[in-house]
Amino acid sequence: MAPVLPLVLPLQPRIRLAQGLWLLSWLLVLVGGLTLLCSGHLLVQLWHLGTFLAPSCPFSALPQFALAASAVALGTGLVGSGASRASLDAEQYPPWRGVLGPLLVAGTAGGGGLLVLALGLALALPGTLDTGLEEGLGSALAHYKDTEVPGRCQAKRLLDELQLRHHCCGRHGYKDWFGIQWVSNRYLDPNDHDVVDRIQSNVEGLYLIDGVPFSCCNPHSPRPCLQSQLSDPHAHPLFDPRQPNLNLWSQGCHEVLLGHLQGLASTLGNMLAVTFLLQTLVLLGLRYLQTALEGLGGVIDGEGEAQGYLFPAGLKDMLKTAWLQGVGPHRPAPGEGPPEEEPPKEGLPEA
Amino acid sequence: MALLKVKFDQKKRVKLAQGLWLMNWFSVLAGIIIFGLGLFLKIELRKRSDVMNNSESHFVPNSLIGVGVLSCVFNSLAGKICYDALDPAKYAKWKPWLKPYLAVCVLFNVTLFLVALCCFLLRGSLESTLAHGLKNGMKFYRDTDTPGRCFMKKTIDMLQIEFKCCGNNGFRDWFEIQWISNRYLDFSSKEVKDRVKSNVDGRYLVDGVPFSCCNPNSPRPCIQYQLTNNSAHYSYDHQTEELNLWLRGCRAALLSYYSNLMNTIGAVTLLVWLFEATVTVGLRYLHTALEGVANPEDPECESEGWLLEKSVPETWKAFLESVKKLGQGNQVEAEGEDAGQAPAAG
Repeated sequence: MAPVLPLVLPLQPRIRLAQGLWLLSWLLVLVGGLTLLCSGHLLVQLWHLGTFLAPSCPFSALPQFALAASAVALGTGLVGSGASRASLDAEQYPPWRGVLGPLLVAGTAGGGGLLVLALGLALALPGTLDTGLEEGLGSALAHYKDTEVPGRCQAKRLLDELQLRHHCCGRHGYKDWFGIQWVSNRYLDPNDHDVVDRIQSNVEGLYLIDGVPFSCCNPHSPRPCLQSQLSDPHAHPLFDPRQPNLNLWSQGCHEVLLGHLQGLASTLGNMLAVTFLLQTLVLLGLRYLQTALEGLGGVIDGEGEAQGYLFPAGLKDMLKTAWLQGVGPHRPAPGEGPPEEEPPKEGLPEA
Repeated sequence: MALLKVKFDQKKRVKLAQGLWLMNWFSVLAGIIIFGLGLFLKIELRKRSDVMNNSESHFVPNSLIGVGVLSCVFNSLAGKICYDALDPAKYAKWKPWLKPYLAVCVLFNVTLFLVALCCFLLRGSLESTLAHGLKNGMKFYRDTDTPGRCFMKKTIDMLQIEFKCCGNNGFRDWFEIQWISNRYLDFSSKEVKDRVKSNVDGRYLVDGVPFSCCNPNSPRPCIQYQLTNNSAHYSYDHQTEELNLWLRGCRAALLSYYSNLMNTIGAVTLLVWLFEATVTVGLRYLHTALEGVANPEDPECESEGWLLEKSVPETWKAFLESVKKLGQGNQVEAEGEDAGQAPAAG
């Protein structure tokens, strides 16, 4: 049975490998920590913007998985640095011998799997943001006036604060406000002719006006904010429609939020890719170091040349050995002692 | 009688030196933190210098920056001294410098304490600067065409939105100034002409506020104009309405923000001062303990460390004597010179 991808490792290259692995592990810890912070930041942003994202939008799964994956990567980095440091010291290495095998399997299967899943989510989920934001923002705008309805009373405040902080107005532009009733009926005078006319002229009995809330106002405008009668060119003196309109925010909140969240998701995706690369390198290096040292029987300073490899045999041979080991104890052959344990014991193939 | 004597054997001296070395490096870190805090405060003051008439005092952040840099320098030097104190050969070259260095350290500690106090005391001057600056800022709110003042509207609007405040002391300050530029007033309208004529200075005053005073927590859409006219709006009573606009004045809001900032920085500086004082006291003990090693050939012997050789009143008397002698010495020399010159001239 020929080992897979063998690499001859005499003493000096082994020491170099251990030192390089130590550096790489600390780099993995750093990058893992940064990815952790980035996914935490995205989680906090999503928590703040929760009202404007439809509940059915799966986007919030991304930062959660990224958090788990980066935590595992951080752990892998710490284990790698500890193991590579121990492999240079004959006294510290023996306790690592038994632990390293299962840790490598856990790191590859668990950590690698989580990272690949998180990367996949980072590529696929931003596409669902569009519909999620449409629904969420549409619902928020519709409930702007419901400041007395329990469960919806925060919509006005949240939407005002969103428009003030993100410098946007309406869903795709300020005209979205013309199509919904954003003034609560409680503050409409039923004896006012203008109000009654407006309500009666509308099919659904809504009070629609060509005005916007104050949070759409742009402070950069040189004149005090014009919020009402926006479609009437004669209502406001000296309003020159040919000049660039600095009066209100020109961007819609949908575009602004989409850009913001997609930017955060792409940054997170980049960091996850770097973490994945580093983790693969660290795990490979640890595996080679482990098999080389096992070949020497765990003696660190052995001058002999050891061979490091990924797997002791090809996939077919490994499966056969595993099956035999599993079936063997049920059919003990006469005169045979317990099967020789191959160093190291390799159970599961790479996920 | 020495002040606060402590006996030191070799091991204790070594431990003291090592402990002091570590503490000095922590102090360097603390110095960097003070430097950072001073820089942060300076940037925050610069950010809002428009509403403070560009006349705010930068004394506190500048002194914090200076003290932070000095702390880094002194403490890294002290760390080097403590590191060398364990080696008699290396320590010998530092010996003559230690006494003046300790005096400088004491002066530095006093300065640090004064700077920490200043952080708490500068609130008063900031209050008057803010009052003047905001008043001017509101006056220039409408001058969006005047070069040099065209950004005042944007600054005040964003200030009111960010700090959730309105006007100088409250929203009524806006009733007393003309905040709508003449350029956007239709002088052919009767209403505008009446208002301008009824005012002594010919200003267009309204009982309205800019949009940035609006409070998003209000359940009804923001009422900005005709604020004192109850009949202009349905179901509105201006005397009981609390959620419509921000009720706090921007002077109080900014003052509270800067006070909190300076109080936090002052508290951190006091903590650092305590730490530095401990380090200086430790260094003094190390100095006197090493001086007290009677036999330089035998490093294992015991020695005593103290803060002051004699008690405080005796040390103060001795200090005054030495100052007087210095003065007298000069006097005697001068007299001698005069006496020498007089016969020469005469």
